[in-house]
Amino acid sequence: MTLEEAKRYVLRRAQELGLKAELLFQEERELSLRAREGRLEEIKEARQRGLGLRVEAEGKVGYAYTEELSQEALDWALEEARENALLSGKAGALPQGKPLGSHDLLGEGLSAPLERKKAAALALERAVREDPRVKSVLMGGYLEREMRVGLESTQGASGSFRTGLAALMGSFVMAEGQSVKQGWDFRAGKEFHALEPGRTALEFREKTARLLNAKPLKTGRYRAYLEPRTMAMLLSVLAQALSGKNALEGKSRLLGRLGEKVASELVTLIDDPTLERGLLSRPFDAEGTPTARTVVVEKGVFHTFLHNSETARALGHKNTGHAVRSYRGVLGTGPTNLYLEPVGNLRLTEGVVVTELMGLHAGANPVSLDFSVQALGLWVEEGEVRHAVENFAVSGNLLELLQAVEAVGDDLDWFLLDAAYGSPTVAVAELSFAGA
Amino acid sequence: MLKPELVEAVLARALKGGADFAEVYAERSKRRRMKVRSGALEEALSGLDFGAGIRLFFGTEVVYAYTNDLTQEGLLEALDTLLSARGSLGLVDERGRGGLDFRKALPQGLHAPKVGYGEKDRRYRLERLLEAEAGARIAPEIKEVEASLLEWEEEVLIANTEGVWAEERRVRTRLFVLAVAQEGAEVQTGYAGPGKSMGLELFDLYPPKAVGEKAARQALTNLKARPAPAGTFPVVVGPGFGGVLFHEAVGHLLETTSVAKKASVLADKLGEVVASPAVTYIDDGTLPQAWGSTEVDDEGRPTERTVLIEEGVLKSYMVDRLGHLLTGYPMTGSGRRQDYTFAPTSRMRNTFLAPGKAQVEDLFAGIDFGLYAKEMGGGQVKPGSGEYNFAVQEGYIIRKGRIEEPVRGAMLVGKGPETLMRVVAAAQDLENAPGMCGSLSGAVPVEVGQPHVLVSEIVVGGRA
Repeated sequence: MTLEEAKRYVLRRAQELGLKAELLFQEERELSLRAREGRLEEIKEARQRGLGLRVEAEGKVGYAYTEELSQEALDWALEEARENALLSGKAGALPQGKPLGSHDLLGEGLSAPLERKKAAALALERAVREDPRVKSVLMGGYLEREMRVGLESTQGASGSFRTGLAALMGSFVMAEGQSVKQGWDFRAGKEFHALEPGRTALEFREKTARLLNAKPLKTGRYRAYLEPRTMAMLLSVLAQALSGKNALEGKSRLLGRLGEKVASELVTLIDDPTLERGLLSRPFDAEGTPTARTVVVEKGVFHTFLHNSETARALGHKNTGHAVRSYRGVLGTGPTNLYLEPVGNLRLTEGVVVTELMGLHAGANPVSLDFSVQALGLWVEEGEVRHAVENFAVSGNLLELLQAVEAVGDDLDWFLLDAAYGSPTVAVAELSFAGA
Repeated sequence: MLKPELVEAVLARALKGGADFAEVYAERSKRRRMKVRSGALEEALSGLDFGAGIRLFFGTEVVYAYTNDLTQEGLLEALDTLLSARGSLGLVDERGRGGLDFRKALPQGLHAPKVGYGEKDRRYRLERLLEAEAGARIAPEIKEVEASLLEWEEEVLIANTEGVWAEERRVRTRLFVLAVAQEGAEVQTGYAGPGKSMGLELFDLYPPKAVGEKAARQALTNLKARPAPAGTFPVVVGPGFGGVLFHEAVGHLLETTSVAKKASVLADKLGEVVASPAVTYIDDGTLPQAWGSTEVDDEGRPTERTVLIEEGVLKSYMVDRLGHLLTGYPMTGSGRRQDYTFAPTSRMRNTFLAPGKAQVEDLFAGIDFGLYAKEMGGGQVKPGSGEYNFAVQEGYIIRKGRIEEPVRGAMLVGKGPETLMRVVAAAQDLENAPGMCGSLSGAVPVEVGQPHVLVSEIVVGGRA
């Protein structure tokens, strides 16, 4: 069956069986072009689609998905979702839906001919190799993803949107004398035409080259300057504490702190799914709630969790339209384009510029918000970068870190992790560094 | 899953398009996830993954396509898109003529489940999860418990133009418990997550109640723990998941994915001393029902036991087909991928540090002040510079040879080759533990393992 036929079939079968059903369908196209030593070494061109089901039976909710669209597979998925619902121990309901329209958030963004994209991948790789300190390139390349997401339910929800992004990526090893560093970098945008391979390669190289000839860092407490990418990574950990679902499940340290001051006055945190060029903007969330700009923390004061209809109802809060779900998953909550608002009062004085964090998935605890992670960085004295530092870890607690923010730059930059996270450079009064 | 005629048609057309080698990987996988919280089923998800990947080699140039449409038209369309992306559509190469003689190796069922995927109903699973959850409620400080069951049944088919035809049914089951302990404003967590390539008989090996207790005890220990000290100390790493230290510090550096491109600090070092004599490091894809075992790898080659380092000397890398083409090293059955959406790359399977001769007590005896990293979290490495890290999930201070108070939030960081030289001794108590390893070809199940190991010094990240 085609996706359209499968969708109609499942909705009809669900109604015949007396079930309420919501269908999330997704079609994705991926193109990836990897260059190495002046030629393309890997071309990937792919299509994927699937159907995610959320079913309400006897006032309870269950899930299933399928990528096979035969009648047998669709019947299987519907029956599995129904059985999963009936075994559930908690009440749940599909929300009332409405027509949501059909939206195009991508336009002609990826419309360039394939040859131009190949040229971009090759140009990036060539430009990375131009520095004699680059000893090997694992990969330099171009990646694009185009996606159409649709939602239909027996409760009246109906709509779809098309989106996508283009990116340049590079992975390479630089060496000078005995000092060796590996760079891995990624720059994404909504339009192929806006990518600049030469400039991006230079930026990738410079970010890694400045870390060469690093010295060990002495164990101690120093002022930290967290570069945009580093702070964005920490925001991705914080996002788990902002999740309405984690709050509901007792896994957020922010539970019970609405309206309180949880961060420095310089901290204003916004999630905006409506940003015109936002990497992950969307017109409605995974259960059809229209999206809107949400101020999460304003001048240090915590305003709201990110909710879907289920978590909002259970906690008695307002639904913020942050339902997240892929067709392969269950309903969750999460940000789209979450960013720290620029202020512009930052100047380097003395301390450690943290340029990169490694091991965050294991070294940062999303429940306790304690973190202790490997870092790379630069030592700053008298307002100037003196040398790179390595072989150290930085640790603290994210809420304490947000309280200790003493300056925020104006260099907002975006990084794509599980969502798009944005931040300027942030100065933190003091963090704990372990090294030699 | 796919008829030989259909696979043959796809492979033949690939050869006509000028490819030197072509491979089809098809997959039909059922997955199930159930999560229990507060004495009831919170979420249940069932899924069917269905897709195929087509990989072509033109010399060492790789082109890859995947699709969910496994009809003849769907597969040929994916192939043609790929050939036109490369610019070789319409090429006619003589090698596409004549049939392929597939050598069909029958699966031996080395890791077959005792309890099949479809057996036992949901209620049986729910009851075991409730036992795990109840098992964790050992103290009033335990405020939240989540018990999850993950089950996969993957059917894979790998066929290529060299006549390989391999099919395998891979069943995996994992129980996972998260416990959250709280006292005042202090919140800490504990985890336990046993998993094997087997069915629900996993519950016999790891009684759910005991798994729950283990997670809860760790959460309570962390609640009492003080922040770890910061600095450089001797570290004793515990057995089992402690092996993640070597997985990050050396394992990834021995995959041809990095080695072939000279992007590993251990490239071109076969036969050289790369570690202390206490280090013998083995990657074994054949361990019965281990979490990372399969009969064939995702390129259709039988998996094997590969000795990587023997008493400090580098003996072998982990080599997939592309790695073999680029380096000439013999393939080791190490081509792995998360699913059909990834082309395979060289990956670890079940990788462990072999047991040594020391007694566990001896490792602690000479330490004046150090860290006992009893249970580990995950880690990460940059093969090009060897810089790695991993997190300690449960740790204790060692003082004058004795294990003393618990500490939390320790992150160990270093450079792999240096750490390898600083391994002083390994004890005799080898254990393995399951984990998920993320790299270029996605997240694949692996086991890591080791006995108790003493490393003379590692940077310990904690509170300065």
